[in-house]
Amino acid sequence: MIEFVNFKKNFGNKEILKGLTFKVNKGEIVFILGMSGTGKSVLLKNIVGLMRPTSGQLFVAGEDISGFKESQYYEVRKKCGMVLQSPALFESFTVFENIAFGLRRNSSFDEAEIDRRVKESLRLVQLKGVEHKWPQELSFGMQKRVSLARTLAVVPKILLFDEPTTGLDPVTTNVINKLIFDLSRELNTTSVVVSHDISCALDIADRIIVLDGGQIVAQGSPKELVKSTIPLVKDFLMEVR
Amino acid sequence: MRGSLKNIVSDVGLGVMFLGRILYTAKHSPCKRKDIFEQTWRVTQQGAVTTALAGFFVGAVMTVQFTMQVKGFGALGFLGGISTSATIREIGPLLIAFMLSGKIGAFTSAELGTMRVTEQIDAIKCLGANPIQEIVLPRFIGIVISSFFLLAIGMLMSIVGGLILGVLFSGISPEEYMRHVPTVVSWPSISLGLFKSFVFSLLIASVCTFKGYTAFGGAKGVGRAVINTAVGTMVGIVIADWLTSVVSEAVGVIIFY
Repeated sequence: MIEFVNFKKNFGNKEILKGLTFKVNKGEIVFILGMSGTGKSVLLKNIVGLMRPTSGQLFVAGEDISGFKESQYYEVRKKCGMVLQSPALFESFTVFENIAFGLRRNSSFDEAEIDRRVKESLRLVQLKGVEHKWPQELSFGMQKRVSLARTLAVVPKILLFDEPTTGLDPVTTNVINKLIFDLSRELNTTSVVVSHDISCALDIADRIIVLDGGQIVAQGSPKELVKSTIPLVKDFLMEVR
Repeated sequence: MRGSLKNIVSDVGLGVMFLGRILYTAKHSPCKRKDIFEQTWRVTQQGAVTTALAGFFVGAVMTVQFTMQVKGFGALGFLGGISTSATIREIGPLLIAFMLSGKIGAFTSAELGTMRVTEQIDAIKCLGANPIQEIVLPRFIGIVISSFFLLAIGMLMSIVGGLILGVLFSGISPEEYMRHVPTVVSWPSISLGLFKSFVFSLLIASVCTFKGYTAFGGAKGVGRAVINTAVGTMVGIVIADWLTSVVSEAVGVIIFY
């Protein structure tokens, strides 16, 4: 579904991603772990064209998008839903309008169907009665959930999560993690999750990729990773022991 | 010196390219009329009071200044005509432009800049929409259209201010003040005022949307975008004023003489 081939990304003279090669299969949940500043978010932003690769190839649904122009990315973005690190809700829109934004632009649904989908998305993230509230009236955690609902409303085939549970309470964190798992199993959605939450990764990931210094230092299933002798992986695992 | 000149040239080049993107989007994927109406209403509402107030006092100042000049020639009857003509041709559009720049330009730049640094622009892209079409184009068109409404408000208030001060300061009657307004204020003067206002509003709309949209680096970056908008529009307006005066004089000579 997504494939990086010798993928490199530089900021000026600084190499952020140093020739990554890996694949994410259809329906798979892949967690990308690593220290802050190792280029995890950069990796996701390249998939939806918010950033462009310096060199290498990037395939999404079998198509090489590494040389795409801005106008060509619109189709890619319809396939990929991305939950950004910050909630990034539109402040001049209500919660309902925020969630309906993607549906109104990229579908031919009537208002009744949009209304149904907005409510269904809010139900999935366990939020009720907030449709007519303004983003400023919600807590950070609620804003993050609305942001997630906004992405889910358009039912993308690929879901990209940039630290989806940062700043959330443990109960909501579990709800979100279960949601990622259920979407993958029931709708065969492909998920790439950038996170620091190792315990969650061990629980729901099919595969975990550990980045350090812009390179992959370890990858494998949670069971394989638990046995890893790589110092960084051991450090991460210390958190759950 | 050389480095900053290079930066200015590069900045102007990028700004022109950004304007090209806005115009391309306007042609190929126009925004909703409702959004344009909302922005036009918002900008007009935000600028109306200050423009009216400034217009009133500019008209008043012009009248006081011209009183001294025309009295010397015994041509006090032309006071209203000369004062209004000067306001419509030059001071009015310039005044509206500075008002728009300071209030609407800075506001739009800060608004777009905040949307950029809080990833709202990225979110629009991620949802398969075009941010230029969604948030830049309505603001751009809104500023241009509202500048004409604000120009009308400013002009009207400058005439009122001139008239009141003319009566109070120069001892001229309202009828006499207004008598030569239709003869001195010609269509070329009004056209020039409208043309200048259009050019200035295009400039303000381009600079503030460009600076806001390309802001980076958190709150500091938004602040920088606002400062650059203020400086860029002020300098741009003065240069554009000179250019439009030269061009319109040349065109006026060809058409009217």
